[in-house]
Amino acid sequence: MFGGIKKPSLVALAVTAAIAFTAAGPARAEFKVRSPIVDYRELEFEHNGDVTFDRPGSGLNNGQSFTYELEAGILPWWQPGIEAETETEPGSNQRFSATTFENLFQLTEQGKYWADLGFFAEFSHASGRNEPDSFTFGPLVQKQMTDILGLDLGYDTLHTLNLLFSKEIGLHRSDATPLEIAWQSRLRLNQYFEPGFEYYGNITSIAGVSNDEATQHRLGPVLVGQYNMFQYGKIKYEVGYLFGLNDRTERGAVRWRFEYEKAF
Amino acid sequence: MIQLRILAGLAVLAGGMTLALPASAEDSFSLSIKGKAFEPNELTVPAGQKITLTVKNLNPTPSEFESSDLNREKVVTGGNAVTVFIGPLRPGSYEFFDDFNADTPHGRIIAK
Repeated sequence: MFGGIKKPSLVALAVTAAIAFTAAGPARAEFKVRSPIVDYRELEFEHNGDVTFDRPGSGLNNGQSFTYELEAGILPWWQPGIEAETETEPGSNQRFSATTFENLFQLTEQGKYWADLGFFAEFSHASGRNEPDSFTFGPLVQKQMTDILGLDLGYDTLHTLNLLFSKEIGLHRSDATPLEIAWQSRLRLNQYFEPGFEYYGNITSIAGVSNDEATQHRLGPVLVGQYNMFQYGKIKYEVGYLFGLNDRTERGAVRWRFEYEKAF
Repeated sequence: MIQLRILAGLAVLAGGMTLALPASAEDSFSLSIKGKAFEPNELTVPAGQKITLTVKNLNPTPSEFESSDLNREKVVTGGNAVTVFIGPLRPGSYEFFDDFNADTPHGRIIAK
């Protein structure tokens, strides 16, 4: 599996180790749909950001979240990364919120089965003394289709689903188990310009008691693309706008992602 | 707790479906990377069905078979081979290249 490296037991061991050493996330979930495919032998620097919009004084306006991440596809099936997160709650100053150790495990060969499957696990160490660390994990699924239920759009479509569960650990932890759902479907027009839509759901708790009932749903358009500079690397981008679908969510949010990757 | 069990069940079901549904009967093709060239440089494959492509790297240094058109990137170390699962493809032309060696001429897969 994976270019001659056949180590399923190592995959299981690495997943188990990542789970064992990890824990749950920042106050606000990052708007990012993760691919289950590892970019083997590539070093990636990534910036994610979002800004929310709502009525002034609503407590939901001008929330900001930024992440800076370095990832490396060191094995065909494992891509670890380290991430710094900053965020600005509406009405307050920007602050460094967490340092996160991420792991992407590619579980199937791309294109071999009906869908491509991966597993994501991260440990997030909160910067605030009174904030709990957290562990986030879950499956990543991706499927490229030539038609959707018989409807041919003239181009292939790429669909990606993330189901990420979180558990807080340490002092001040909550017993809740939040679920983050991220879905992206896009039309593969060409590598520079792939329009689509995204959904982000943040379910406060699927198990355990939560003190904060703040389930959120967001939906909106996205543009995805990349530009290959060959020996000078590759630039990828995503830009989207998300409409808040319920009262607990801001009216809208702009989100972006820029990535530079280089083979090593 | 019931919600958790349902979700866990769905996750297992989805994973099982992913792995249990193998690719349909696949035609196999191969190409080599030798020096600064793909051999063959152009490959004709059937449209509308999955294919497997074996990429052999006859050089001592690593290469990466990459195609934005096909949405595939696969590193093949020196002297080794990898299998790339592709398609089903629409009729058309799909460019591929060696991302580690920019001066290697690009090749094409023609799906008919």
